[in-house]
Amino acid sequence: MSSGKMSNGGLKTPKADPAPRRMPSATPPAKTNGAPAPSAERAHASYRYFLCPASKSSAPNGAGGDASLERPASSLTEVVAAIGRCHGGAEPSVKRLAGYDRIEICATSLPGVAPTAGRKPRYAFVVDPLGTSDGRGVGSDHAPWPDVDTALAGIRKLSEQGALTLAPGEHLRLSVREVFSATPVDRRKRLKERVAQTIFLAMTVALVVPLVVILTHLVAKAWPVLTPSFVFENPKNNMTAGGVWAPLIGTFYLVFISLAVAAPIGILAGVYLNEYARDNWFTRIVNLAVVNLAGVPSIVHALFGVGAFVMFAGMGESVLAASCTLAVMTLPVIISSTKEALASVPMSFREACWNMGASRWQTIRTIVLPNSISGILTGVILQVSRAAGETAPILFTGAAYFVNVPNKGLGYFFPYALDKSCMALSYHLHVVLTQVKGASPAQIAAGTGIPLEQLQYGTAVVLIGLVLAVNSVSIGLRMYLRSHKKW
Amino acid sequence: MSASPLQPDQTKRSLGGWLRAQLGQSRGLGELAIESLIRLCGYSAILFVFGIFFFVFREGAPMLFGGLNLAEFFGSTDWNPVGDPPRYGILALLAGTMSVTILSMAIAVPLGLGAAIYVSEFSSPRLKEFLKITIEMLAAIPSIVWGFIAYMMLNPLIIEWTGAPIGLNVLNAGIILALMSVPVIVSVGEDALKAVPDSYREAALALGAGRWEVVYRVLFPAAKSGLLAAVLLGVGRAIGETMAVLMATGHATQVPHSLLDRTQTLTATIAAELGETVQGDDHYRVLFVIGILLFVIAFAVNLTADLVVKGVRGKQNV
Repeated sequence: MSSGKMSNGGLKTPKADPAPRRMPSATPPAKTNGAPAPSAERAHASYRYFLCPASKSSAPNGAGGDASLERPASSLTEVVAAIGRCHGGAEPSVKRLAGYDRIEICATSLPGVAPTAGRKPRYAFVVDPLGTSDGRGVGSDHAPWPDVDTALAGIRKLSEQGALTLAPGEHLRLSVREVFSATPVDRRKRLKERVAQTIFLAMTVALVVPLVVILTHLVAKAWPVLTPSFVFENPKNNMTAGGVWAPLIGTFYLVFISLAVAAPIGILAGVYLNEYARDNWFTRIVNLAVVNLAGVPSIVHALFGVGAFVMFAGMGESVLAASCTLAVMTLPVIISSTKEALASVPMSFREACWNMGASRWQTIRTIVLPNSISGILTGVILQVSRAAGETAPILFTGAAYFVNVPNKGLGYFFPYALDKSCMALSYHLHVVLTQVKGASPAQIAAGTGIPLEQLQYGTAVVLIGLVLAVNSVSIGLRMYLRSHKKW
Repeated sequence: MSASPLQPDQTKRSLGGWLRAQLGQSRGLGELAIESLIRLCGYSAILFVFGIFFFVFREGAPMLFGGLNLAEFFGSTDWNPVGDPPRYGILALLAGTMSVTILSMAIAVPLGLGAAIYVSEFSSPRLKEFLKITIEMLAAIPSIVWGFIAYMMLNPLIIEWTGAPIGLNVLNAGIILALMSVPVIVSVGEDALKAVPDSYREAALALGAGRWEVVYRVLFPAAKSGLLAAVLLGVGRAIGETMAVLMATGHATQVPHSLLDRTQTLTATIAAELGETVQGDDHYRVLFVIGILLFVIAFAVNLTADLVVKGVRGKQNV
């Protein structure tokens, strides 16, 4: 054994290795190889065995150590035997080696003091289970050993020939290389991928969670008041009792009239932009106008409504003025969703129709519109929910604080005149939130009043329920369409 | 439908011949009428944009060109329209709008773009469908309900967390506005990412890039303009929002110095004060002048977003 002849002279005092070390002694190595661990890559070696030529005397029971740092082996043969116990054989007793695992045999000058890691190994050998060098392997890159046992035998043979001498501080590296296994670079990349994906997922969850929290909180708080009578009764006793029927009907009025105005104009405008308009500067301006109309703040729509419909057109604060304001507001989105729906009809449909001698409008009427009507409808329905929820545009154009409406008969269903203002659910929520005093404890006890908070939550839930229900119809229609696409 | 073929020479010869051709063909007068109607509707968008500007301007103009000291209007933080003499300085309101918008964007832009990237690049088709629906639902919540949430839910939470005396402040409005503008950012951002050709992704993946590297080194540069447009549209939404900020900001005309200061925005001022004014008086007209300002800001933001998208698309075509 050559290691005995080494001198310790000229060695710097080895520094303690900060990297985690794995001892192949009685306890199995800590490393599990399934998941890439960044610390393992920094430690350079998956497993380290230690060799201390001078340790014979310090070994507790005279025999050599088990090649752990505290009890280093005294000769390379012992280390090889220890490695064989841990990793060798057909059924590795401690740890199977996988791609890019490395075993290092480090020579140290003192037991318990690891040499600095990271230096280039004095000797480097390679085990490649898929290598093609058969039995002729010599452990080099080009002729790797086929398995750990062969490698250990080879190392033992070399050391017996005196070809391997490790001075303290030097080390021998045995790398296992599997062709298709992840390299450290791969592992680092995969880790980065996973971290990035987790961060993005967290960002997405940060959007989903508030929605769920808000909805459950609203429903939970409003639960006691959510009865059919709350929806179907008119507000009464200075809005301290009753339900939201009158505002709900008012919202239906506004939505229905605004869509009756906006949908035809919007759909025809979409038809124009997709079917008639040439690609010139004028069309670009029209498109720009649509985009900008969509971006106008809702309160500016309200001012426009006041200026144009309430004042100029002389409608006064009325259902009509509020509906027209809402119509202008919903118009751009109807235009762009119609355009999109029309654009999804393949050009070949139109060409086939033109070839039959049909005119442009005939083609649109018989081919393009029937094939895109559901897509158009999706956009229009979506605007129903938008119009139902908007408050600012109707604030000064036709929403009333309170309207005394009939509680039965036809007036129960059609309580508003078009030239008078009406209640609306969204504005009603604003009112009960900021201006209503709420029922007195006596009233609540007598059953003639609803606690203010319940009234507020109840109104909010009815509004949000209406909006989300309409929205779900739109989404459902879209999904149905997609699954029944004809082309 | 007439089976006779169109005779081009006849259609061009005279007006009578042209009309006869029109009537003889299936393309009758009815069709001419409907086509004119379609064109008219097509032009309506322009009409309405000008209409909005015209009518808001009409109400605001008498004040804008007479009586309103523009230097004071933009330079003073003193907003006291019912004082004697009344003061119309919107600097504090502008500061309120800016602070709320900036805070909301600081929250919404990373979240929105991150979610857009996740939805577009990382999620499975089924999860993608679910997330898109969720975000659509988030977008559908009416602004008054957001105001309600700010008032009833976030307000006590902020008082509890920060110990502030009142929870209606810049922080509250920023969070609410962030949640309101995130859906816009996500959906426009996702569209922008979807518009990047798959061949870009495939080329990068073939070179050994991971998905994150594809996003970072390929999609970001390629979809830069679309993502910027998404952010701008989010900004537009935040600036223009009215009812939610009306209830969330705490309504105090002051320049906020911290997140927990109450403030007031341009939009909320109009919503809160227009009802108290007499039609035609100075205060009423000043509110319309603020409306003009908002219209111009929104126009500028949307125009920029549009140009950003168009400009880069034009460059790519070359």
